[in-house]
Amino acid sequence: MFKKIKRNLKIFLLFSYHSLKTSSQSRQGIVFFTLGKVLRFLLLFGIIFLVFSKTKIIAGWSLKQVIILYLTFNFIDTFSQLLYREVYRFRPLVVSGNLDLILVKPYHPFLKVLLGGVDLLDFLLLIPYSSLLIFFILQENVSFFSLFWYLILVANGLIISTAFHIFVLALGLLTTEVDNTIMIYRDLLNLGRFPIEIYQQIISFIFTFIIPIGVMITFPVKALFHFLNLKNIVFSFFISFFLLSLSIKFWQLGLKKYQSAGG
Amino acid sequence: MNECCYNLLMHKYFGVFILTLKEYFAYRLNFLIWRLRVFIGFLVPFFLWLTVTKQVKNFAGYEEKSIISYFFFSHLFSYFILGTRTVDIAGQIQNGEIINLLLKPMSFFRYYFFRDLADKILNLLLSFFEIYLFFKIFSIPFPSSNFQFLPFFFLFLTLGLFLNFYLSLLISFWGFWSTEIWAPRFIFFILISILSGSFFPLDVLPKKIFFLILLTPFPYLFFLPVKMISSPQTLINKIDFNLIFFMVSFWLIVFFFLARFFWQQGLKSFSFWGK
Repeated sequence: MFKKIKRNLKIFLLFSYHSLKTSSQSRQGIVFFTLGKVLRFLLLFGIIFLVFSKTKIIAGWSLKQVIILYLTFNFIDTFSQLLYREVYRFRPLVVSGNLDLILVKPYHPFLKVLLGGVDLLDFLLLIPYSSLLIFFILQENVSFFSLFWYLILVANGLIISTAFHIFVLALGLLTTEVDNTIMIYRDLLNLGRFPIEIYQQIISFIFTFIIPIGVMITFPVKALFHFLNLKNIVFSFFISFFLLSLSIKFWQLGLKKYQSAGG
Repeated sequence: MNECCYNLLMHKYFGVFILTLKEYFAYRLNFLIWRLRVFIGFLVPFFLWLTVTKQVKNFAGYEEKSIISYFFFSHLFSYFILGTRTVDIAGQIQNGEIINLLLKPMSFFRYYFFRDLADKILNLLLSFFEIYLFFKIFSIPFPSSNFQFLPFFFLFLTLGLFLNFYLSLLISFWGFWSTEIWAPRFIFFILISILSGSFFPLDVLPKKIFFLILLTPFPYLFFLPVKMISSPQTLINKIDFNLIFFMVSFWLIVFFFLARFFWQQGLKSFSFWGK
């Protein structure tokens, strides 16, 4: 078991190294994209301050809580993009039939199609996001217990994100449609930038229980501030386990239906 | 140009317009998914500001009713103004496809303008359908429009449309000199999404920041047209109309000449083989 993990880790690091080499070839792109992402982060951060310039509470959330929510969103979003960037390049593999060359290799295909393209840019951005997140959490008087649940639920959010990415891959196998699906996932995730309570009840319900964006982003922050009851914590674990299992089943179904070149 | 030639010319571009519409109907799913994405993007600012104005009652002159009105028209007109096919140009420069267009007996700028027009009309129709359905389902009262400033609305709408066209062309012409064509477009998109007023009405900002944004081309893309039809009365006391007329004309002239200049320069430096 340990030997297998060590081997997979070695392959993952090798793919990551190759990915870093490739992305560092386009230096102009790195500068522009980093600039764009930083600009977006700062402008949206500014909007939070703008909103709170006239009120102290929005939908039951204070300024500091919304800042931590926004930073948690950025952390989960950036971390999943850092790991799963290769999903964005999956379609050409299916369309061209080059996926066959990966499927016959003696390692799990997820090592390549899911984790094989670690993004240098997101890694660079993750450092300031995490530092800011730690800084703002330390400003708050949070107990060890609530911090523990926060970290566990952030990890749980990353599991849900993993499940979504596997769903996209499976859908790619079945329909060759990847680009639009992954962008819709990103758009839906963006709904979690602000507290899920700002949406009308039916939308909040959908984004908590059906497409669990709220579980991914809002729940960890709620746990940090003792807004979350045990029932919801249990539900979070259940939904992540359910989605991950379902996505793997869906991937296996996709593999069965996959007809090599031309999808 | 006599009437016959003019009719022939317009017939040619009308053909481009119709063909672009047909293209969209051939790839219906892609377009519908695009509209779904635009609609999801609308939900965040709409509900955020609705919650804020419900709580604060009056946020820098905006009440619940005026914020609903602003985002209603913002969703309706955002992609009528910002929708464009000029994003394809950079890719066509890179893969050499642009040669096919250069050989055709038509103006490149007009060709793309008519393609844009088809895109805009489809976007407008679908956004109207979406927002109507959304307001009906969630029982949100439909806003009333302000017809007092209708001429200003049409004026700013037309200016915003042309400003976006030349600005977007200019960014695409970057492809003549660099293979990194998506990165500048990404920055442009970020700036537009925040500074043109799609995330919040720009006049809720502190006066000095609002004034600084008025010096950039972004608010003229769709903040001003949307404002003129939704709630112009809240803007009148905040801005000098002479300044905004000057600035929008200034940016339009600048981008018009820059786009022409870089197009000429780009063509001179462009070379391709294999077609």
